[in-house]
Parts: sequence; structure tokens; C-alpha cells
Amino acid sequence: MSRQQESTVLFDALGPKGRRNSNIASIVSAVVILGVLAFVVSVLAAEGFFEQSRWVNPLDALVVQTTWIPSILDTLTAFALGSILALILGVIFGFGRISRFGLTRWASTVYVQFFRSLPLVLLIWISFTIDGYFGFTTGELGWSNDARRLTFLVLGLGIYNGAILAEILRAGVAALPPGQAMAGYAVGLRHGQVQRLIVLPQVLRNMLPAVLAQLVILLKDTSLGYVITYPELLHSANIIGRDYSNSFLQALVIAAFIYFVMAYALSKLVVVAERRLRKKTAAPAARVQQIEQAAFIAE
Amino acid sequence: MFDNFDLMVAALGAGAWTTVWVTLTSFTIALVIGMVLVIMHVSPALPARWAANAYTQLFRNIPLLAVLFIMFFGLPKVGIVADSWVWALLGLGMYTGAFVGETLRSGINSIPLGQAEAARSIGLTFGQSLKGVILPQAVRAVIPPLGSLLIALVKNSALVLAIGVTELTAQSRRLIEDNESRFDLWGVVIGVTVSYLLIAFVLSYLVRLVERRTAFVR
Repeated sequence: MSRQQESTVLFDALGPKGRRNSNIASIVSAVVILGVLAFVVSVLAAEGFFEQSRWVNPLDALVVQTTWIPSILDTLTAFALGSILALILGVIFGFGRISRFGLTRWASTVYVQFFRSLPLVLLIWISFTIDGYFGFTTGELGWSNDARRLTFLVLGLGIYNGAILAEILRAGVAALPPGQAMAGYAVGLRHGQVQRLIVLPQVLRNMLPAVLAQLVILLKDTSLGYVITYPELLHSANIIGRDYSNSFLQALVIAAFIYFVMAYALSKLVVVAERRLRKKTAAPAARVQQIEQAAFIAE
Repeated sequence: MFDNFDLMVAALGAGAWTTVWVTLTSFTIALVIGMVLVIMHVSPALPARWAANAYTQLFRNIPLLAVLFIMFFGLPKVGIVADSWVWALLGLGMYTGAFVGETLRSGINSIPLGQAEAARSIGLTFGQSLKGVILPQAVRAVIPPLGSLLIALVKNSALVLAIGVTELTAQSRRLIEDNESRFDLWGVVIGVTVSYLLIAFVLSYLVRLVERRTAFVR
């Protein structure tokens, strides 16, 4: 109970009576939560959700080998390529937005605002459709449909998340106290040197947690490949669910679980990175948190 | 220039209207869920905090599309059936609710402890300090991030096309894939883009208006 004795924004340190009340509240809430869980489990059990065959069939060795594992690999491929593209575009347009040249600033702002306002699913699907309509990649380049699906999923993920990473980069630069750059100019560094030696190293440290958080979102967004039937995890779960129609819900739950494990592992990395990098910057912790908040929100 | 221009505008307009009301309704659901979550998060009861945390982690690490699929395609298999728009609103609302809860929590955490201690030391009760000191500051701190969540929800609402709700993206898809009436491809592309930009623009203008109205100097 020691952790409840310190005072918080909402509660003063609890006295004997307060501790007793909070213990009662703990027990009551535990009972309520367990009751709700038990109810859900009993409803699911009554409908045969936990029947062994419904879990064994979609996890059959053959299905795992021919569908689950390739689909996880396809998801990770799209994630890796999409992340690389997004990082490249994010750096280009993030620096574009704080450039000294008006035209570069303007063009970068248009890119960021435009692609941040459109749903990713629309971007992916419409670029794929326009390409199919005019036959750019199918006609002259003679690409297979699989290559096209991967390309347009990666393009969509990269362009959309690039716009958001550019915003994070800009916020990171803005969070750095201007005195840092001024001090650099004062000791006689040129603009490029100030950016390279003083601003960038600190901004990159500030940004890393926010960037990783955005990459978790990018990983989840690979599921949008479904609209152009890219064979990623969720799409494959659907196919398995149609093959074993008794196990449809189970297949989807398994897919959701795999997503959860991948995203959770990635977000743990965020926490580690955060802890290691927090101390090495001149930006106040509150501002760094704001950047993270911005990234976390930017779906 | 565009074939069947008036038909296209009517269809996209209907889609845009669906997008707007799905967004606003599910955002209301998300606000309610977020408030319940934040109350559980800050409550002294440990199991309530655990449950809120589990909910948040669950929805933060599973793709929205997977949530919608489980609801719409999966739950009927265990006898839970509802219309697609019910699942659309619930799915978007429950998913966004986890994010709203985190935002509200960081709003409360953004208040310096000294504020609360000062309120207690001049003898304000729990209710008084909440009403007069904590909440007014917390609410103002969370309006900008809640605004970003609302804009993000406009974009996320496009995913409900996968479970058969004809919002803006689904309408544009229908128009393009409808071979009989021959809608102009670029017309639909421009139309749907402009509609989303307009919705995002109007909503962020409204959010900024609220922000300015409630702005204060700390």
C-alpha cells in the first residue's frame, strides 16, 4: 500500500480512514471486473468459442506453414519498406518545412498538410486504382499483381507517415531552445554547421521515441493492405476464416493477437529508447513529452 | 468536363454526410469511454487501474481494421449480431476511447502538483478543488490533443467501408467501380480529395475556435 501514501494531483496522502475506503473500493472493483469477465467468458463458452477444434483447425501445421507465416513475413516486409520510405520522406520534408528558402518551405507545408488530411486507406486504394486504370505498371513495366500490391501499399504507408514524421521533426526543432543555435552562431559556426553539429544531434534524440511510436502505428496500418488484397496478416486471417467458417472468429482473434505481440514489442522499444535518451538534450522534458503526445495522436 | 457531374456530387455529398455523422457520433462514444477510463486510471482502486490499463493497451496495439472485422465478421459466429453501422460506431468509439483516455490522463498529469496542494491547503474539499482548480486547467490542456484525435477520427472513419458502411471513401469507390454510368475517374478523385480536405479544414477551424475561447495564461 506504500504507493498510495504519496499525494497526487487528485488525492492527498490517504489517512487510515481513506486507506480503508480505498481497500473497500479495490475489492468492490475487483469483484465487478471479474464478474464482467466471467459473464463474457460464459457467453462465449455457451456459443462454443473455446471448443478445441475451432482453435486447432486454423492453427493446423499446414495452414501455419502456407498462410500464417508467409502473411506475417509479408506484413513485416511492408512494414520495413514503408518505414524506410517514411523516414526518408520525413527527413526531407521535415527539413523542408524549416528551410531558409520560402519556396521549399511552402512546398513542404503543402505536402504535409495535404497528405495528413487524407485517410491512408483512400491513398492506398486510389493510387492502386489510378495505376490500374491507366496501366502504368501493368503495361509498360509489366509488373505482376503481387509486386503492384506491395508497391502501392508501401507507397501509401511511406507517403502518409512521411508527412507525420516531417511534423514530428519540425516540432522537435521547435522544442529546442533557440539559445542552442544562437550559441553556435556566437562561436562562429556557419548555418550548416549549426544544424549539423548542434541542432540535429539533439533533435534526433528528442524525436526518437515519437518516431518509434509512429512506427508502431505504421505497423498496425499495414493491415490496410487488405483493401488492395495484399496478402498481409489480416487478409490471410479472413481467408482462413472463410476456409474454416466455424473458426472465423478464432482466426481473427489469432491475427489480432499476433498484431498485439508485434506492436507491443515495438512499443516496449519506445520506452527503452525514451529512458536512455531523455537526459541528453537541452529541450525541457515537458516539451519532449508534447512531441510524443503529438505523434501518439497522429494516427 | 465531368460526366454525370450532378450525380457524382450527390453521391459524394451523401458519403461526406455519413463520414461527418459517423465521426461525430463515434467521437461522443469515445469521449464517454475515455472519461470512464480516466476515472478508473486515477482511482485509488488498483484493479480498476489494471482494467483501464489492459483496455488501453489492447486497443493501442491492435489495428482498428482488426477490431472492426472481429466485431462485424467474428461476433455473429457467437450469436452476437448487429447492423454494420452499429459496429462501425462502436468499433470507432471503443478504439478512439482508449486514445481519449490517455489524452485526458496526460491532461490531469500536466497540472503541477503545487496547484492541488495549494487548493488543499486553503481548505478546499475534494469536489471544490476538482471543480475550481484541477478541471478548468486540465480541460484546457486537453482541447488541442482532443482536436487532433477528432481529425484523426475523420480519417479512421474511412475504414468502416470494409464492413459495408458507405461513407465518403466507399462512395468514391462505388462511383469509380460503377462501369455503367461512367463516372469520370479524375472527377471522383478530385471530388473525394476536396471533400476530405474541406471536412478536415472545417473541423480544425472549429477546434481552434474552441481553443481560443478557452485560452488562458498559466
